[in-house]
Amino acid sequence: MDLLIANLAHGFGVAFSLKNLAFCLLGCLIGTAIGVLPGIGPVATISLLLPITFGQEATTAIIMLAGIYYGAQYGGSTTSILLNLPGEVSSVVTTLEGYKMARNGRAGAALAVAAIGSFFAGTVGTVLVAASGPILTEVALSFGPWEYFSLMLLGLIISAVLAQGSVLKAIAMVVLGVGLGLVGTDVQTGQQRFTFGIPELSDGIGFVSIAMGMFGIAEIILNLERPEAREALKTKVGTLWLTKEEWKRATPSVLRGTALGSVLGILPGGGAALASFGSYMMERRMSKYGHEFGTGAIEGVAGPESANNAAAQTSFIPLLTLGIPANAVMALMVGALIIQGIQPGPRMVESQPDLFWGLIASMWIGNVMLLIINLPLIGMWVKLLEVPYRYLYPSILIFCAIGVYSLQNNVFDVYQTAMFGIFGYMCAKLRLEPAPMLIGFVLGPMMEEHLRRAMLLARGDPMVFLQRPISGVLLGIAAIALIAMLLPNLRKKKDEALAG
Amino acid sequence: MRLNAKDLAGAVLLMLSKAQRTIRANAKDLAGAVLLMAVAIVGFWINLEDHAIGTARRMGPGYMPMLAFGLLAALAALTFILGLFNGPDPLERWTQAELLAVVGGLAVAIAVTWVLALQPGLISRNWYPLGLGMLAGCLVFSIPPRWRKLGLVTAGMVVFGLVLEIGGLFLAIALCIGVAAVADETQTVKGTLALILFQIVLCWFVFIKELDIRVNIWPQF
Repeated sequence: MDLLIANLAHGFGVAFSLKNLAFCLLGCLIGTAIGVLPGIGPVATISLLLPITFGQEATTAIIMLAGIYYGAQYGGSTTSILLNLPGEVSSVVTTLEGYKMARNGRAGAALAVAAIGSFFAGTVGTVLVAASGPILTEVALSFGPWEYFSLMLLGLIISAVLAQGSVLKAIAMVVLGVGLGLVGTDVQTGQQRFTFGIPELSDGIGFVSIAMGMFGIAEIILNLERPEAREALKTKVGTLWLTKEEWKRATPSVLRGTALGSVLGILPGGGAALASFGSYMMERRMSKYGHEFGTGAIEGVAGPESANNAAAQTSFIPLLTLGIPANAVMALMVGALIIQGIQPGPRMVESQPDLFWGLIASMWIGNVMLLIINLPLIGMWVKLLEVPYRYLYPSILIFCAIGVYSLQNNVFDVYQTAMFGIFGYMCAKLRLEPAPMLIGFVLGPMMEEHLRRAMLLARGDPMVFLQRPISGVLLGIAAIALIAMLLPNLRKKKDEALAG
Repeated sequence: MRLNAKDLAGAVLLMLSKAQRTIRANAKDLAGAVLLMAVAIVGFWINLEDHAIGTARRMGPGYMPMLAFGLLAALAALTFILGLFNGPDPLERWTQAELLAVVGGLAVAIAVTWVLALQPGLISRNWYPLGLGMLAGCLVFSIPPRWRKLGLVTAGMVVFGLVLEIGGLFLAIALCIGVAAVADETQTVKGTLALILFQIVLCWFVFIKELDIRVNIWPQF
């Protein structure tokens, strides 16, 4: 406990430097802005800004990128409540009760409970990351290549199982990502694989190119094809505070949402979107006021908004302790760390204490900042929606182009990104999810390394994966997750939860 | 025993309509499966040709690709089989012009890239063949209105790559926005010009002044 406090104090020391504070604020501001704007999400934004972070110190860069992710959870709720327009996937369910509340004249209360619930959940999430980090790291240090391989396999399977739509296609996309990750120089033999004699491919396909193409460029085209439906703010916000009755009703929902979100955030493949859907379902069933759902029940805002923010924080746990990304945003964080020359994994706590504890402290500071920049400045954020998409998309395109070029000062990356844009568009039309592919792409090369080492040590006997207890249990969970999704009943529930 | 022709025809019709109801092909899944299968087959084949597989104990560079692309092929096949029944989820219908534009665009892109790459001299260097090929392909793509957004947004990106090193950053920004702006019908000339000016100032500040990336900002002669 004393050690934890000492570590946190060290973290706050790092996070309170002027530069880190400034970039934390910048990240939160950008996050809120893209959270408010539909059509651009945290994945696209972070891949857009990745090149900009190269010149910075690793700690500062990660602090800013993290701010974008959890900032987007705050911003997304604002437009959901006021305009029935979810800025992010994770705030789709907030429209259900939040917008109804706004129409009942309780917009201020809905916004307040969303922000306060998010802040509470964010605080709990941050403490969880700080407390579990060192413990999980201990465990992870005893892992051999078998455990790592099984854990990554579990992560990939769960991320596919929890993805939207068909599990089978999601697994296929994961495997496709693993396949794309194989392009480049084989680490052990130095042989060029699938490079077609192109020197630019010998370091592998650019991670940023894939992320920007599939999440940035493809999104632009899809958004342009959709007719733009934006309305001006008609509802009055009213007082930004809760009545006594509302406090009483919202508090248990915030607690439940925080607990559920924290758990779902840690799961590989989980994250903010799943947590908010799950919490909405839970509130509708568990709340005493379940019959009021659909007419503007405050529980339906308090629960999901707390859950998505808790999940946004705790999804850092697998990344920081095991080096395994739980979702597409975390996959981008792995990319950012590797570009900075830091291998994410259990050794990070010891080798990069500034980064680890500084990031945790900054997450809490960021949550305070978000509370301040969100509630009083809500009018300003809603104004942002008046910027038409026709001015937005060429700007996103330009930032993508310059950003990806500046990675290696090579136009090949620009063309490569354009190609992945077309591919991403095709995938969207065929309902092939890009997020599992990105996770597969990041984890693939690591899995290959562990698999080769494990099989060499085991003299070519694959049974060793089942004989090692931890590895066996992880594989067992993976198998159960897969089988569970084959049951039609459960699958229907998942589809319902994800479709809202 | 006499067969009643009327009953028989009725039974056949009933069976057919039942079959029609049960066999519901999911066109999106089928197309996706074909796409994934194509990647798997090409990957598997290249891997067999180029890389040593090794043994399970001492895996060569080809072992993991073999596993990955083999599994991908199996998953694609399974998606295809299940896709025959879990529909209907039809693809949007394409007109003849749209289909022609896709095939033509692809052919033009490959042909232009190929021909230019074989040219000696300046044009065959620095990925100009690829860029020009992609640009030509995108423009063919943009002929039917249906693909115009896809074609022009991508073309904007490609134009940026083509112009950047000879034309400088500012010209590249202007042309990229200019091309991409055509994709949206609500865009006005005045608005586009204002946006270009704004982006040039913003990008100069962010990328040149603050981040100091190494790129020409004015045209090179």
